[in-house]
Amino acid sequence: MNKRDTTNVDIKESPLFWPARLKGSVLLVLDETLIPQKLHYIKVKNTKQAVDVIRQMKTRAFGQFLVVMQTFLLEINNVGTEQCSVPTGILFKRIIKTADALNKSRPTFPFEEVTSLVVRWAQQAIEQNIDIRVFVPKCINGYLQGIRARRLERVRKIADVLKDGDSVLTHCNVSGELAMAAHLAKKQSKRVHFFATETRPYFQGSKLTAWELRRMGADVTLIADNAAGSVMADKLINKVIVGSDRSCANGDFANKIGTYQIAVLANEFQIPFYVLTQPSDKIKTGKDIPVEIRNPQELLTYLKKKIVSGVVSGFYPGFDVVPHELVTEEIPIDVRA
Amino acid sequence: MTCALETQLNENGKTASDLFLDDVRGSVILLHGVFEPSIFDVIEPGDGSELFVMEGRPSLESAASTCRELLRRKIKPTLIADNMAGFLFYRNLVKEAWLACQTVDEQGALCPVGSLIIGVLAKRHNAPVYVYPASKESRAMGTQKDIFYFKGIKVAPQNIKGYVPLVEWLPKKYIAEVRG
Repeated sequence: MNKRDTTNVDIKESPLFWPARLKGSVLLVLDETLIPQKLHYIKVKNTKQAVDVIRQMKTRAFGQFLVVMQTFLLEINNVGTEQCSVPTGILFKRIIKTADALNKSRPTFPFEEVTSLVVRWAQQAIEQNIDIRVFVPKCINGYLQGIRARRLERVRKIADVLKDGDSVLTHCNVSGELAMAAHLAKKQSKRVHFFATETRPYFQGSKLTAWELRRMGADVTLIADNAAGSVMADKLINKVIVGSDRSCANGDFANKIGTYQIAVLANEFQIPFYVLTQPSDKIKTGKDIPVEIRNPQELLTYLKKKIVSGVVSGFYPGFDVVPHELVTEEIPIDVRA
Repeated sequence: MTCALETQLNENGKTASDLFLDDVRGSVILLHGVFEPSIFDVIEPGDGSELFVMEGRPSLESAASTCRELLRRKIKPTLIADNMAGFLFYRNLVKEAWLACQTVDEQGALCPVGSLIIGVLAKRHNAPVYVYPASKESRAMGTQKDIFYFKGIKVAPQNIKGYVPLVEWLPKKYIAEVRG
């Protein structure tokens, strides 16, 4: 094997890479709001609880996708245990109801694109007169295995993008992949430094990204969100890598609030800007992406401590949209079934 | 605005958030830094919905001082985090940006960290940046502890580094006018 050929090297996994897994009749979901203090998994037993962990941002990004897929497994299991013989029609209605509830959980992530896969598999089972309880779980599990393999492959691609001597700025958190690529790059004897923005108001950059990069042995420096311009102007970074929550047909994408201004800065300072995407043509351009506006109290207070004294308003858009012309290169994975 | 996870549509297919954004489109004044209080005297009393104040991490002094001065004048501003300025520009909400500077010369101005982000965004979106005097001089650099804590609560993991610039140079190409 070539010194830098890591095709067959096992990739060390971050807990954020696969933060939700089914164990018996319970879905265990990593509570990302408690990291780095502790690794705690929330027990989710039904759709309502699944929607709650998504809305309360206990899980986000790829974790939402996993929760959605596996909530259908939960519900199918639940129906099976509630009644010995459930008519297919009732089971199908349960799947539709589950999809509907998940689709309404948060507006920006393309939940409907994910849940529609499961609804389609259920329809196929009915058309082919196959037991939904057998066919749909088989499809979901097979699909997730495929996604896992493609994500691991993308980790290798990210490691290829990382070059010896790079100094990389990242924002929010990309669910394990960047940290795992950092570990792989280190195995490839590449020296790479990372700057992580703290990512107000939930601090995903401080709590998740800095934590998992360090856990993977990477060299990481935390900066305030407002220092992104400073590190670029002072030539402290030479590459930006971020994730994305939703992509459009024209290459625009939505990601955690703050990504747009980093992209504009990178363009101004001629720094290559990479984005991990899950390409989709369901939405034409970024102007059509619904951006979630969250409760301003999540911004105005932190653990019940007010940010400023007095009564002020707050405005908290959860995401922003980056136009495709600001992207140097996409690092995509195909999420089609 | 008080919406939480606002998704309910009105008869025109708009959420409360959409209506709020419609109301402030093209009229937002973005404020960043610790200003000499007298500059706020030019602002007419009102609901303040168009005055957006940046937090100013790590000390949050920018938010604290600007909000205090505006509230004293019976104006209720809107607070945003430092990473939200881009959203306002992208949605064409911003009319102009005000920055507090502690030094200015023919090459540019020494402003609080975050000013470069606003300057670059304003350039892209054709909004003017006005520079006003700051009420005090800032240290050039903070400590790692400043970024590892928020309101006295630890937010960072162990064994990482922190880099905490507190001021940055804003070249004159990003400045429309020095005022005050």
